[in-house]
Amino acid sequence: MNIPLDSPFRPSRREFLNRFGGGLGGIALASLIGESQARDQGTLPLYLTDSPKAKRVIYLFQSGGPSQMDLYDYKPRLKAEEGHQLPDEVRGGQRLTGMSGNQSSLPLVGSPFTFSRHGESGQWFSELLPYTAKIADEITVIKTMNTDAINHGPGVTFFQTGSQLGGRPSIGSWLSYGLGSENANLPAFVVLITKGMKGQPLVSRLWGSGFLPGEHDGVRLNPDKDAVLYLNNPEGIDIKTRRAMLDSLGALHRLHREESGDAALETRIAQYEMGFRMQASIPEATDLSDEPESTFRLYGDDARTPGTYAANCLLARRLAERGVRFVQLYHQDWDHHGGLPGGLKTKCRETDQASAALVIDLKQRGLLDDTIVIWGGEFGRTNYCQGKFNPASFGRDHHPRCFSLWMAGGGIRAGYSHGLTDDYCYNIVDGGVHVYDFQATLLHLLGIDHERLTYFYQGRHFRLTDVHGRIVKPILA
Amino acid sequence: MKCFLPAFLLLLSTSFVSAGKVEFNRDIRPILSEKCYKCHGPDAKNQKSDYRLDSFAHATARLDKRQGISPGQVEKSELHHRIHAAGTDDVMPPSDSKVTLTPSEIALLDQWISEGAEYQQHWAFVPLPKTVPVPKVVFPSGSNADQAKLSRWAKNEIDAFVLEKLVQAGFTPSPEASRTQWLRRVSFDLTGLPPSLAELDAFLADESPEAYEHVVNRLLDSDACAERLTAEWMDVARYSDSYGYQVDNDRRVWPWRDWVEQAFRKNLPYDQFIVWQLAGDLLPDATREQRLATTFNRLHPQNVEGGSVPEEFRTEYVSDRVQTYGTAFLGLTMECARCHDHKFDPVTAMDYFRLSAYFANIDEAGLYSYFTPAVPTPTLWLPDKKQEAELARFEREIASLSQRLASRREILQKSWSSPADIRVPLPKPIASFSFDHLKNGAFPDADPQGESAKSSPNNLLVPGHRAQAVRLTGDDAVTLPVGNFSRDQPFSISLWMNTPDEKERAVIFSRSKAWTDAASRGYEMLLEKGHLVAALVHFEPGNALRIRSKDVFPIASWHHVALVYDGSSRAEGLRLYLDGKPVGVEIVRDQLTRTIEGGGSDTIVIGERMRDSGFKDGFVDDFSVFDQILSPAAVAALASDQTTFSPDLDHHLLTDDAESRAIFAKLTTSRQERSALVEEIPEIMTMEEFKGPPRITHFLERGSYASPGKAVSPATPAFLPAMEKGLPNNRLGLARWTVAEANPLTARVTVNRYWQRMFRNGLVATTEDFGSQGRLPTHPELLDWLARDFVDHGWDLHRLLKIIALSATYRQSSDLPKGKALTADPENTLLHHYPSSPLSAEMLRDNVLATSGLLVNQVGGSPVKPYDIAVAFKPSAPDTGASLYRRSLYTYMRQTSPSPMMIVLNASKRDVCQVKVERSESPLQGLVMLNSPQFVEAARVLAEKLIAEHGDDDEGLIRDAFRRLTSRQARPEEVRILAQLFAKESARFSADSGRAEALLKIGETPLRKEKQSLPRVAAATVLISTLFNYDECCMKR
Repeated sequence: MNIPLDSPFRPSRREFLNRFGGGLGGIALASLIGESQARDQGTLPLYLTDSPKAKRVIYLFQSGGPSQMDLYDYKPRLKAEEGHQLPDEVRGGQRLTGMSGNQSSLPLVGSPFTFSRHGESGQWFSELLPYTAKIADEITVIKTMNTDAINHGPGVTFFQTGSQLGGRPSIGSWLSYGLGSENANLPAFVVLITKGMKGQPLVSRLWGSGFLPGEHDGVRLNPDKDAVLYLNNPEGIDIKTRRAMLDSLGALHRLHREESGDAALETRIAQYEMGFRMQASIPEATDLSDEPESTFRLYGDDARTPGTYAANCLLARRLAERGVRFVQLYHQDWDHHGGLPGGLKTKCRETDQASAALVIDLKQRGLLDDTIVIWGGEFGRTNYCQGKFNPASFGRDHHPRCFSLWMAGGGIRAGYSHGLTDDYCYNIVDGGVHVYDFQATLLHLLGIDHERLTYFYQGRHFRLTDVHGRIVKPILA
Repeated sequence: MKCFLPAFLLLLSTSFVSAGKVEFNRDIRPILSEKCYKCHGPDAKNQKSDYRLDSFAHATARLDKRQGISPGQVEKSELHHRIHAAGTDDVMPPSDSKVTLTPSEIALLDQWISEGAEYQQHWAFVPLPKTVPVPKVVFPSGSNADQAKLSRWAKNEIDAFVLEKLVQAGFTPSPEASRTQWLRRVSFDLTGLPPSLAELDAFLADESPEAYEHVVNRLLDSDACAERLTAEWMDVARYSDSYGYQVDNDRRVWPWRDWVEQAFRKNLPYDQFIVWQLAGDLLPDATREQRLATTFNRLHPQNVEGGSVPEEFRTEYVSDRVQTYGTAFLGLTMECARCHDHKFDPVTAMDYFRLSAYFANIDEAGLYSYFTPAVPTPTLWLPDKKQEAELARFEREIASLSQRLASRREILQKSWSSPADIRVPLPKPIASFSFDHLKNGAFPDADPQGESAKSSPNNLLVPGHRAQAVRLTGDDAVTLPVGNFSRDQPFSISLWMNTPDEKERAVIFSRSKAWTDAASRGYEMLLEKGHLVAALVHFEPGNALRIRSKDVFPIASWHHVALVYDGSSRAEGLRLYLDGKPVGVEIVRDQLTRTIEGGGSDTIVIGERMRDSGFKDGFVDDFSVFDQILSPAAVAALASDQTTFSPDLDHHLLTDDAESRAIFAKLTTSRQERSALVEEIPEIMTMEEFKGPPRITHFLERGSYASPGKAVSPATPAFLPAMEKGLPNNRLGLARWTVAEANPLTARVTVNRYWQRMFRNGLVATTEDFGSQGRLPTHPELLDWLARDFVDHGWDLHRLLKIIALSATYRQSSDLPKGKALTADPENTLLHHYPSSPLSAEMLRDNVLATSGLLVNQVGGSPVKPYDIAVAFKPSAPDTGASLYRRSLYTYMRQTSPSPMMIVLNASKRDVCQVKVERSESPLQGLVMLNSPQFVEAARVLAEKLIAEHGDDDEGLIRDAFRRLTSRQARPEEVRILAQLFAKESARFSADSGRAEALLKIGETPLRKEKQSLPRVAAATVLISTLFNYDECCMKR
């Protein structure tokens, strides 16, 4: 439901916030004004807190479940006990997937990659992440992420919507709904997917608005001719013709508005004008030709090829610069049930440099202070080998109990490693961060009380974090 | 619009609460529900406090020497003190709860207590009254002319209820909409399509008093109406052409959609529409249509992701059925009670699981088959007439041949005796493996095909039954080069085996790509909890033969095992032998009706199967495969390592008796022909009660499949009237209970949903929730009257729609009233004007297809892929020809990648039951409607038609275009605006004809053959494209 600004039946802002701000109606700030404007005017809905640390998010989602003990969480003991069976007392009844659940033996396997410490913070990184290692002092690595899901579909859906099943809004939709857009010419929630990746399929509901109004759906930008669905004028329609069409349409709508008294027509006129502006603003935002050589040196040569992860990282920065609230990247094929040593090398080659470049680039531009960058997947991988152990081609199954994720930027502690896992990288010893805690903390950083940003649907107030979630204070700057 | 003074009072025939008196349902329940029940509500087990506010008894109980509410005595009520304790630790709601009461809410609660703290049953759970009196509005003062005018305003009962409230609030209805506006409105509402010019002219010319009614009758009696009603039901039923979840393969469920369409076309009484969908399979002598209707319960998303736990997803499927049932028919949010007693409504978790037990008793799997296209069981076959006849013929033929074979056996049983002292050689196996030598991963046994068995080096050779045997790791396979039998082919397998322990589950051998991932397609021999199991499977569990030994298999010793199958597709034709003797078995499944071939892994694999438990540390020796039935005597010989044996009757029948052999050969041919036919017959997922022991439903702690509690029996929710005695306590009983007179919800929920489709919002705005968190009805008596009338007239949906369409309320103008009504009632709950709404996604697309003449009116059939499927998230090639121009109802709906155009235009995503689609506007909609080939082509095709008709008459062309697209005549100012656009663009396209040609090339429909001015057609295309986006073309007003 959209109540246009000048609607005759639109309540005053104060009245409005009293009526709906507490979450009674399906209306939040986005329908009214952007969050910054609201803050300036001192008229805040109840779910907004006083001290936002960040304005926008770039979420580099590594779909498939990157192996924590081969990238971030250094576990020499696994190497020492390689080939031994996973001790029962360590496994402790954890349910396994049907992939390895019926396997007759579960031999431990250490990381074939060497680890070393980096930066003043002395964080550990594997040799596969030379670029990320260079931003060791910018990021918090959470070693103790954990989730409820053991399969991809439910796992990714859980991370992005707070529910393992479909039908709920994704984080970006919640932010679009709760914080609105900071740029009238671009969508608040944009999705970028590395082109041509294999691996576990992604599904469009991951960036869907669920039960929130459809305007909060993530808008996927393609590296194709139409960056957004039917963005470009059809063949034969030039900008002059389009302008003439919209002028005529606007004139008809204004006549009709007088006749019917319906102020919703103002919204209609405005939507067409915004569509027209998007036809220019999106190509402008996605056109990398104005980037200097130094940019491509920073992000790597891949960034020259539209649709690559590196190009998407660069694009994410350009969108962040232009005020897009939430940029969701996806990079697939981290699901290394087999061929992990080679597969992981490929994945890191595709992502390491650009991920680190994004953080560096944002920092150089002063944007890192109020932008949060997140790198992580839906779960981790097992310390034991799936199938038979072969040093060159072994694989690891899904592991939900502990895995690593890093965050950087607005409000995040720099150069910090959070939480402790056991020597087998199987269980959390201290400082566990559940998916709900991660989500609660993310909203907190954006100045949102995760318990109060709700939407009334089917008889209850839904939240991203359901009835869970604690803010992870140690990772806050 | 005339406003009446507040002093203008009226008397009502229905009961009226005197001003000032607090009413629980209206004033108090919303406060308690919203702000208190979370901790003091019905979910006693999971809330912090013992004190409950959800009933009079609980609220007035003494706890810790205090009384929360002392009726009539505010000062003695703890509640009063606590809600006034702002700033102290005692305040309620607590300060950390982030919930606060407003001063007016506090005042209401106090007043309620002092008036006696009366509770009322929640309005929606009160039985539907037997009769609902229609109000007679009485005007004590005001001008006679006004009264007379208003008293003539009402056209039917609906209007009396609406007028009563309007007058009570001091307002009057809006003026009538124009005839054209009404016709456009009702055409979209009932058919999803705009009126044609001919229909418009006919209606405008019809001066008879029945003109409006004629239109409604014509619209209701049309395929388009059935299509429109079907489109809405697809959202409720979460219909899609794919399984959903992550892999999201296609599924063929459109025959169910066609059934829905026929049901609406025939105006099937709505109670039957409900009963058939819930339990048509259980109706006496159920017809194919009645069974087909139950596909409704199988349209939830289904998973196939490798490594998923089947029970986890089976639990989700059952939950989805319950949730859909609750939302669609009862208007209750049942899913809240899956994890705990409902926080706001009297639905307990026990209610939830007892209800779910009705939907659980089918022979289904938690995952569908990744490696085969099998339809998940249970299924219904949908043969055409010819196939049906042929199938019946084969069945008769097979029964008769089987009978002849049995007779022949009976005759010989009496006359034939085993010839003394004659021994014959054992039948020759097609392959045989001694496992005595293993070299480079192969067993160099001589075998007829010259191919050897293969093994991973991890399986070792060890001393066995005879010479060496293979010892299996459980993770490594021994692969044989043979074994791809059809279900019509007799075959036998003989082996020696030795298991070190009982085995919870171990695959001895199989011809099957995988367990859950292929739904066990093929055949297999397993140890399960120590018992020997053999099975032939099309789709596990519902389409298979499966037998299990009564005794457990002996451990730590060598035994001979034989599996013998006679090609009959019957469990009695599958036999197991242990050490030469028949094994006593129980039949677990006897329902094999389709192929067991396919899925990959076309030969026998020993000791391991994908994602299954292998035969860890088990031994196998001397494995032989036969493409024929082995007689008991032959098996006994194999079990004693003999190479010859004394033939028995079975052997005689199989090999020597020419008559038996001839009959058997014919039988095999018939079975093969039947199989070939069967593979052509489509099938569809439906409901069918499992014929074996009923599946036990458990109370699941926190709703998790992994925490089953005690077993529960099926029952309807305890807080609603009980099921009538005499109804069976199964899905059919549930279905009948759902539409029973005593059920207070179903009829109200149904009429409300149809009211919503006509008036944008329901009388209960929360169409999906009639519980205590839902909105109260704006016109409770009207809702009851509609429901009563609906039920009393045999749940006649067409009648309901007609009453609504012909009411004066529906005929009001949608222009916003200029008086106080808007400020006093901005949400238009009083219906002081007709609430306009955006056209649905389906209507927006169908509208341009219809007005351009491109629409292909073909009812039903398989889904189609219009242009935009090519740019979906998971693109596929669009169709060509007529399929591009079918109604949007038929557009291919892939759950993880729906038509991008439809989603931008606000179509339902169909992943869960949706009874209300939030419509919102976004700039992306304009881009679709201005730029997509579907819309551009439609504009061009209409442009060509108009240019051909109007030649050089620009104004005639513009007026015609405007009327076709808005149903009304253009006003001069509108003509002027459009003429300017047309003239300017004509000139520009003339100056650059290349642009005109490029524009007119869009879309598959070829340009007209006759000569036409391309720049003028291009300019007309621009004009029409503009009008496609004009409010009056794409809003229902």
